[in-house]
Amino acid sequence: ALSASRCALATVPLSAGWLPALQLVRRGSKAVTRHWKAMHFQRQKLMAVTEYLAPRPAIPPRCLAPRKEASEEDNGYARLLRRQVEEVFQDNRMIAVCQYNSMPDEDVVLMRRYLRKHNIEVKFVLNEIVRPVLSQSKYKNLLPLFVARNILLVSPETKAKEMLRVLKRVPQVNLLAACIDDTILSKQGVENFAKLPPLEAAQGQTVGALALLPSQTSSLLQCGSAHLTALLDQHIRQLQAGETGSPAEPTPAQGLGAH
Amino acid sequence: GPGGVAVPRAGLKKYVLPPDYSGITFPERMKLKFMDKVPAVPKVRREPRQLRDIRGPSQQATDFTQGQYGILALGGGYLHWGHFEMIRLTIGRSMDPKNMFAIWRVPAPYKPVTRKSLGHRMGGGKGPIDHYVTAVKSGRLVVEVGGRCEFGEVKPFLTQVARKLPFPAIPVSRDSLQQMRQEEEEKRLNNQNPWTFERVVTANMLGMRKYLSPYDLRLKGRYWGKFFLKHRV
Repeated sequence: ALSASRCALATVPLSAGWLPALQLVRRGSKAVTRHWKAMHFQRQKLMAVTEYLAPRPAIPPRCLAPRKEASEEDNGYARLLRRQVEEVFQDNRMIAVCQYNSMPDEDVVLMRRYLRKHNIEVKFVLNEIVRPVLSQSKYKNLLPLFVARNILLVSPETKAKEMLRVLKRVPQVNLLAACIDDTILSKQGVENFAKLPPLEAAQGQTVGALALLPSQTSSLLQCGSAHLTALLDQHIRQLQAGETGSPAEPTPAQGLGAH
Repeated sequence: GPGGVAVPRAGLKKYVLPPDYSGITFPERMKLKFMDKVPAVPKVRREPRQLRDIRGPSQQATDFTQGQYGILALGGGYLHWGHFEMIRLTIGRSMDPKNMFAIWRVPAPYKPVTRKSLGHRMGGGKGPIDHYVTAVKSGRLVVEVGGRCEFGEVKPFLTQVARKLPFPAIPVSRDSLQQMRQEEEEKRLNNQNPWTFERVVTANMLGMRKYLSPYDLRLKGRYWGKFFLKHRV
């Protein structure tokens, strides 16, 4: 029995190392037990030595900036909304940016209806869509406005007065700024713009102002002949009045010779 | 007041497409088959214990076949009829037969286990067959569940079953199993310790093989008896 426990194993070819002459067999319980079999101390030491060591980078990862995982904006819906915003900015002459606080729905509908009458459309926009569109177009200066909840009042005509009148009735919508004909106006600027006379009257005024000098010049030039015409008319009246008296034909010839 | 309060804003809703369950083949019966206590042809000859069918990693049923989720054994052990019934009834009770199916990945009990009658001294020959068991090694799938369902739906009852098994077990999905294997591989590659068990054993450094088994060449320090040492590389 003892000799059986100390028998040497048959040589098995190995890549490196040598086989032990003695092996500990028939000691204690079997190899596979239900309980945790106690390891030989040498084996415990081997297990301790060959434990896993995690890699330690030179710079700890928490000192480096966190990797920003770029969210894919290939969402078709987002692309559609962006395209719509771009079209809005291209098609309309007046775009007013207003702050929108929550209103009752019926008030929203009424406001939209009043604005519709003046051909002004109300558009609800999402900042995360408008911001990239604006930053790449020429409207970069409108970017600071798109922070909280906003609505856009867009119109192909520039009816600032009517818009302001409607917005005055609605306290929850505050005008922030407007972009009229590619000109950014603040709230004050929009009010001033509204106070301006309508385009036809302004055009008429300009034409009148421009035509003032030439009209003065023409009146100066025509002054002499107008005076002559007036004198002649007067004389004709005198003659017609004095026809009943004596004929006075030589006097107009003298008057003509003098001039 | 001091410091701005973050105003909650609603952004654009991102619609997620529903999952695609097109490539799933359902078996004939959705629920788990009933497993016999005793095989159809009971064993006449009593078998030696052969605990090596518990030791080491499993070579069978390590990957998914039909289902998407399953219970992975992380240790060796024997499953007897009581365990089979528990699994069958718990999963049958918790799953939805219209949309999910479950299949066994272990055979019915085949290995006879003998017991001597209680209170007798040693000797008198081998005892009669008491019951039958199935041997399960670590890394083997016990059951597979699949169908039109997500891991989150299946995980609760699979963990419930896994806790009751005689060996440590976890619910896994195809992705999580692949992830686990990848992590193991990465750990093995980026280990900073120049001394690994495998290296010491194959070179028989310091005559360590005197204290180790020839099986340790294959098991490489990750297995000890029926236990699977997950933390070891």
